[in-house]
This record gives sequence, C-alpha cells and structure tokens, in this order.
Amino acid sequence: MSIKIRVRGKVRGGIAEIKALMKHPMESGRRINKKTGKPYPAKYIQNVEVTINGTKAVDAQWSGAVSANPYMAIKAKANKGDEVVISVVDNTGDKGTAKFKLK
Amino acid sequence: MKRRSFLKGTLATGAAVVAVNAGLLTPSAVLADWNKAAFEAKKVDDAIKAVFGTTATSESGDIVLKAPEIAENGAVTPVTVDATKMNGVESIAILADKNPTALVCVYNFSGPALGYVSTRIKMGETMNVIAVVKAGGKLYKAQQQVKVTIGGCGG
Repeated sequence: MSIKIRVRGKVRGGIAEIKALMKHPMESGRRINKKTGKPYPAKYIQNVEVTINGTKAVDAQWSGAVSANPYMAIKAKANKGDEVVISVVDNTGDKGTAKFKLK
Repeated sequence: MKRRSFLKGTLATGAAVVAVNAGLLTPSAVLADWNKAAFEAKKVDDAIKAVFGTTATSESGDIVLKAPEIAENGAVTPVTVDATKMNGVESIAILADKNPTALVCVYNFSGPALGYVSTRIKMGETMNVIAVVKAGGKLYKAQQQVKVTIGGCGG
C-alpha cells in the first residue's frame, strides 16, 4: 500500500517553504488494544527524503512519536518551477512519493 | 480510530512496555539508515550521544523553538525549530524528555535546505521539548516545557 502525501510549496524571496501532509497511522507499537491486551503492531514512517530538482535537501528519520497523519514543513533556497520530490518509507516497507512544482 | 479508546489505551501503558516493544520494532532491510540505537534510547543524553556522537551542547539564543505552553492534546503538539539565523546548520533533532523513548525525529540538511523544521509530535505528559541543532560541527540546544493535559504517546 502506498502512502499518500500532499505537498504544497511557495517561493518568497528566493526561499521556499515546503509543507507536506501524509496519511499514515504512525502507530508507535506502544498503544494497547484493550480487547486483546496486546499492543497494536508498530507502523510508522521511518525515513523521509526531500529533493529539489534532483538535489537532496533534507533527509529525516522519524520515530513513532511523530503524530498520526504527520505534518512537516521545511525551508530551502529554491526558485519558482523547481520540482520538489518527497519520498517516505515506513517500518513495514510501505512507500510513498509525491512530486510538486514550486509556485 | 476511536479517539476515546486511543487516549485511554495510551495512558495505560508504561515504561515496562518498552522492553516488549523492542522485539516488535523490526525494521525491514530496506531501511539502511535508520538509527535504531538512537531511537531506542530512553534518556535524552543517550539519544543525543547516539545521534551526534557526543553530548556536549551549548545553549544558543539563535535557535527559535516554538511549542505551545499548554497542549490540550499531547498527541498532536506542534513544534517548530527555526535555526535559520545560524550558519552551516547540518542537522536538527527534536526530543521529548519524558517520552518512553526520548528521540522524536532527526532532520539532516544538505544542498539548498535551510535549518528549519516544523512538525507535530506526541507527548505522553507534561515535559520538556528539546531541540538540538548541529551547526558548523558544534551542538546547540534549546528547550521549552510543554504542559500536557491529555497524554498522547503511551507515556
């Protein structure tokens, strides 16, 4: 199953603020299922990578302590029309990629 | 997800569960660069050491750490770390000192990126949010207490 990502970005004064919203449960593996008394299995995004026009800008590692349906905003030097690619991988191997042209 | 049961469930868990969970966290082989040791560290200093190799940090007024003073719902605490005033920012780590595992996320910057991160994190109880910024080979730290009225991270 691929992870859905929504990306937005605007350039102001040569600096782009890139915002991403992902659809993911971010289950830390600590939350207990009351019916079974066992924890829900961990499922959270571990790696996030952002490239701008093919150049790596940000790579992040996350734990299960990032909120469900994670929001992320970063800043980078960029121009209008530059292509931003965000890719994520979770601990079960599910992946997601989103592309966006900066406005 | 049922919010009520989610919150109840998270409050019921404790530090003892950490050991159990360690076995459940089985990252796939695809994830070569996920710092397992750092993310399993329970204490802030251990986590910082696992990420950066040292715990020698100095306070810096150039780090702008934005977090709410009171978070009504600890499961979605907005945190912003703005280190754009500093030169040569390489990484930013966000930690929550009383979460079962302290390290929340690590961002590495390269190329066109600036030292800025905004995200939302889970916090189980009232605690300090700590931002560690690596700039020019040195570590800088800023922290702020967030009062949590409803827990959100199995703490």
